[in-house]
Amino acid sequence: MHAIEVRGLHKRYGDKVAVDDLSLSVELGEIYGILGRNGAGKTTTVEAVAGLRRPDRGEVRVLGLDPRRDRARLRQVLGVQLQESALHSALTVRELMRLHRSFYRDGADPGELIDRMGLTEQRGTRFENLSGGQQQRLNIALALLGKPKAVILDELTTGLDPEARRQMWATVEGMRDQGVTVVLVSHHMEEVERLCDRVALIDAGRLAAVDTPAGLVTRAGLEQVVRFRTATPFDAAILDGVEEARSVRTAGDRVVVTGSGNLLHAVSTALVRSDVAALDTSFERATLEDAFLALTGSPFDGSSDHGSER
Amino acid sequence: MTAIEIPPARRPGPRAWAELILAEGKMVVRDTAGLLIPLGMPLLILVMNGLGSAGATTADGVSVFERYVMPVVFTIVIATVGVVNMPSFLAYYRRSHVLRRLAVTPANPGMILAAQLVVSLIQSAVGVAIGMAAAMLFFDVGVPERAGTALAVFALAALTMYAIGMLVAAIAPTGNAAVAIGLALFFALGATGGMFGPTENLPEPLARIGEALPFGAAVQAVGRAWAGADQNPAHLLALAAAAVLSTAVAVKCFRWE
Repeated sequence: MHAIEVRGLHKRYGDKVAVDDLSLSVELGEIYGILGRNGAGKTTTVEAVAGLRRPDRGEVRVLGLDPRRDRARLRQVLGVQLQESALHSALTVRELMRLHRSFYRDGADPGELIDRMGLTEQRGTRFENLSGGQQQRLNIALALLGKPKAVILDELTTGLDPEARRQMWATVEGMRDQGVTVVLVSHHMEEVERLCDRVALIDAGRLAAVDTPAGLVTRAGLEQVVRFRTATPFDAAILDGVEEARSVRTAGDRVVVTGSGNLLHAVSTALVRSDVAALDTSFERATLEDAFLALTGSPFDGSSDHGSER
Repeated sequence: MTAIEIPPARRPGPRAWAELILAEGKMVVRDTAGLLIPLGMPLLILVMNGLGSAGATTADGVSVFERYVMPVVFTIVIATVGVVNMPSFLAYYRRSHVLRRLAVTPANPGMILAAQLVVSLIQSAVGVAIGMAAAMLFFDVGVPERAGTALAVFALAALTMYAIGMLVAAIAPTGNAAVAIGLALFFALGATGGMFGPTENLPEPLARIGEALPFGAAVQAVGRAWAGADQNPAHLLALAAAAVLSTAVAVKCFRWE
């Protein structure tokens, strides 16, 4: 069984196609990233998974259940943190946790979750008086209250400061350790790179690619660059047999090698084999962000604004 | 691959209902301005009228206080709670996505409507209790002649006001808009229904219309029960019709998000 299975999902708003025949499957226990620019259809997709939107076509299964037909069953085991959502403004953190805990048959201890989310000092603070980051943490705490088997987190760390963001990442990694399946919608490349086992790139309502973060970078086929200096003049022929290297340039004692694949390792091995000592070695490779831009087309041509984020 | 065991569906139980009603109660109590109007304004009107017209009687010897003032006071309570307060919360909940947030939990956003209704009922009961106590204590007002009938027609009137409130919640885009629409409706219904003095002082056609509208009909029906007179079916029919119509439109127009 897949944790989440989406087949042929199609959703339009008026004459705008938000999601166009999208299929994906999330394995049990993995952290699955959904990456795409604004309006690519990410939120519509997770809303269909969460049962908040009725697809025009296509099928969605979450833990084997139909999110709309088996709503009551699924809600007990699926935690959802939405991008835009307020809570009862005049209730305190403690009161809101208590209220939401009462909705679940089994669940986490509210006090413990409050501590874990770093809201201990705000226990008695009304929702309306929390900072944006605190509201976000409370929303995530609420999503975890029912001890869910799968969680959807939409823009998890938006509005969090760097420290809170890192804490949140640790929390998500902790969920994976407990076997919870996580779907993470994000704009934050570092977050996706660090947390996700696999990433789906969504572009204009369609699935552009699915792979590990490193796999996506490789798939984008972007050049890597290895730079180093040598104590003795460098003979470029040393790297002749290195398939990964595409070009070698030398200028004085400086050497610049560009290429792809496992370039750094291949170059190092060749140097060691020829007994050349490299100094000040640096390595540049494409980031996930570069790969994202390469795989979904130019960011600035304006033609990418399909669909609408709803 | 391990299979995941998912327990059978379970609707939120009595505890969830109790917590939700408690939550709505806190929302209402902590909204000080919204709390003061339905509890304070009727009391003010009661006292002002009590000082002015205590002891006055109508042509057929019925106490003006019991025939008009008390019914107006009680109708203000249910109208401010039902037509102004309740919809402002519901519209706010929709606007700020509280309903949407609730839709992804095992609780149904419909539960929030029900919980608000319960809290509104409690708030109305408190307002009525305060008004009744003050009237009995300071102005020597007794219980209605036909207490059972008074209670029944008052319950119908409350139901109608809540139905109108649901209609306001359905059409108002924001919480503020709900307050504005609710207040406008409240004053329009109140002014034609005897809130600012007996409807006899209004031009004849306006008074007729006012009596057919929920506020006026409620005042007349409760007043008759208080004075021990027979009910005029037209008033009850007017209340029931307003309740049914408002509910129908509210159900048709209500949006969860």
